[in-house]
Amino acid sequence: MSNLVELPPRQIANSLEATPLQGVSQILKKKPVVSVVGLTKAYRKHVHSIPVLHGVNLEVENGEFISLVGQSGSGKSTLLHLIGLLDSIDSGSIHFEGQRIDNLATSVRDKIRNEAFGFVFQFYHLLPELTALENVLLPLMIAKGPLKWLFSRSKALAQAKALLDRVGLGHRMDHKPRELSGGEMQRTALARALISKPRLLLADEPTGNLDDESGAEVIRLLRTLNREEGLTILMVTHNLEITRDTDRIVRLSKGLVVDEEVQPEA
Amino acid sequence: MYKVLLCLRYLQTRWLAMVCIVSVMLGVATLIVVNSVMNGFSTKLRDRLHGLLSDIVIEAYDYDGFLDPKAKMAKIMADPYLAKNIEAMAPTLEIFAMLQYAYHDVPFTRSIRLIGIDPQSRAKVGGFTEFLTQPERKITPSFELTPEAKARQAKNHVLDRKPAYFQELPSDPSAPPPPDPPPSKPHEPQGLIIGHAIAHFRDRTQGSDGQVKDIRALEPGDDVIITTVSGQKMSPVVDRFAVADYFRSEMSEYDSMYVFVPLDHLQKLRTMEDRVTSILVRLKDFDEAPKVIKRLKEILKNEPVEVQTWEQKQGALLAAIRVEKGILNILLFMIIGVAGFGILAIFTMIVAEKTKDIGILKALGASRFGVMQIFLGYGLLLGLVGCLLGTAMGLAITHNINEIESIIGSITGQELFPRDIYYFDKIPTDVHPMGVFFVNIGAVLIAVLFSLIPAFRAASLNPVRALRYE
Repeated sequence: MSNLVELPPRQIANSLEATPLQGVSQILKKKPVVSVVGLTKAYRKHVHSIPVLHGVNLEVENGEFISLVGQSGSGKSTLLHLIGLLDSIDSGSIHFEGQRIDNLATSVRDKIRNEAFGFVFQFYHLLPELTALENVLLPLMIAKGPLKWLFSRSKALAQAKALLDRVGLGHRMDHKPRELSGGEMQRTALARALISKPRLLLADEPTGNLDDESGAEVIRLLRTLNREEGLTILMVTHNLEITRDTDRIVRLSKGLVVDEEVQPEA
Repeated sequence: MYKVLLCLRYLQTRWLAMVCIVSVMLGVATLIVVNSVMNGFSTKLRDRLHGLLSDIVIEAYDYDGFLDPKAKMAKIMADPYLAKNIEAMAPTLEIFAMLQYAYHDVPFTRSIRLIGIDPQSRAKVGGFTEFLTQPERKITPSFELTPEAKARQAKNHVLDRKPAYFQELPSDPSAPPPPDPPPSKPHEPQGLIIGHAIAHFRDRTQGSDGQVKDIRALEPGDDVIITTVSGQKMSPVVDRFAVADYFRSEMSEYDSMYVFVPLDHLQKLRTMEDRVTSILVRLKDFDEAPKVIKRLKEILKNEPVEVQTWEQKQGALLAAIRVEKGILNILLFMIIGVAGFGILAIFTMIVAEKTKDIGILKALGASRFGVMQIFLGYGLLLGLVGCLLGTAMGLAITHNINEIESIIGSITGQELFPRDIYYFDKIPTDVHPMGVFFVNIGAVLIAVLFSLIPAFRAASLNPVRALRYE
């Protein structure tokens, strides 16, 4: 069965509307990593319910680099968090690599977050007590028990050091986050997100707190990872400038996907 | 592994954790010191009580005593089981009496417990010779005066110069007139062994070395007059004795009350020939005491005596000590309870401060239980470090308690451990390793229990809310 049949009609329409022939060929070529169908989410404050998502449909293809854009309050970060299993949905479904994941047990969701997803946040979210190297190692430490960690420690260390080298922080491994610049912290966070070799990288405003140069550096890294290693990336951003480097731009407004634009390959 | 790493880092970087550690440390140290001192007092008290009462006491119901102790002891030793288990026996005759002596011609009168013993047999049941002050008497216990004491006795009576108060003593018309001494041999009074606190005054003003001084009021060879009662009519009888030695058990009650005299002499004085008030029994193995008591009761079932172990005889006192110790421990554990509330408050603050970190950990795949373990581990770590430091501090204070008492005393001018009350040279301490262990276990448990609520709260945090927490 082709992927085309499984796609929600709205997305097909959006894709065809944007770049008809190219969009179809891409959809036919690639397998969806994430598939979101009719997703709704509302936050509750006492007796009041504040709806955020009103039935979002989205597919993220393998190896795709998607920008999720929209105004503040449009629900893009909420969508990212729901896909990343950081929060629970009200209705709809989320599939990852063909398997429904939104209704899984907490322990399995934790495992998926740890092994299959990588997160990069606007405010880096590094643990201040740990060095850059320890922050990068954290997902592996969480994944392994003390005994397993003891046996795999040297391999993990080499892996973390190689990643920090790759993001240009080989000389800052023993520095605490407070001793790093914003760009360096974000690159450390990126190394941390990559250490467990994720199949999906979820980036929430990764350049939102950085100057232009540092932001560009981070986007360059993401693009390289996407192109060279085929890493699937879903990135929330305000900055339309950086969306040019992505494969597809998905626009959200008032809790709905209102527009999708497939970018021409560079 | 991340849990251990984070626990250690939180311990190193949060000064608030130090407050928890210090509170646990102080609680543990206090418990160890107080328990060690109380154990010291208790052990010393038990040693003294046990020593003085021996293992088992066969006691008359009243001060009239019972007849023919030798026959009773022979009857007891005729039993093969008892003969196998009894090490020694000593008959004693005990009665309240009044004691008078003169110090710088000023009369002093004290109430005492007069105990008639045979020094040889009393030494065999223990708790006697080790408390005598003259070394030679520890080896060969007797009421004999030393040559120096005899010389002093002779000097005191060289002019037969009796203090005025002796002459003023009312003579008892019913008492038999004392026999005239043979013309060739002057009257030599019987020797007695007197409680240290009776024969000495405490100088309450400390000496230059900070030690309390004892001023001796009665030297060996000095006269004492003892008045007690005799016969069924309880007629007063008076006799003069000379101090042979001092009895210093470091038990205030004994040192200020006990006066030992020869058993046969006291029997004569009280007209209680061949009667005693108790027989002290020393066993080869105290664990056999219940069986020995049962057998003794069978053998002596028709005799007007009560058979008890020393613990049964002092049951009320020992129970009081146990109760006092138990209550004190409960009260002191409340100190650690207060430390526990400190941990609860501080941990709640730390969880609030670390909310974002908890969100990060959850985003990276840490489970609820994993996050909970971080804070439980943190509580455990604080408890362990606090206990370790508290144990070290408590043991150090216990080991040097006398020096510390002396320093505090010299700073405040107030004697914390008045030696004139306890008659111990030093504050006695006895560290029970199991007690220290249980204090530590209790403190660690309290630390973990009080970190449970904040740990649970941390584990329940929604990751998104935690990440957005400001």
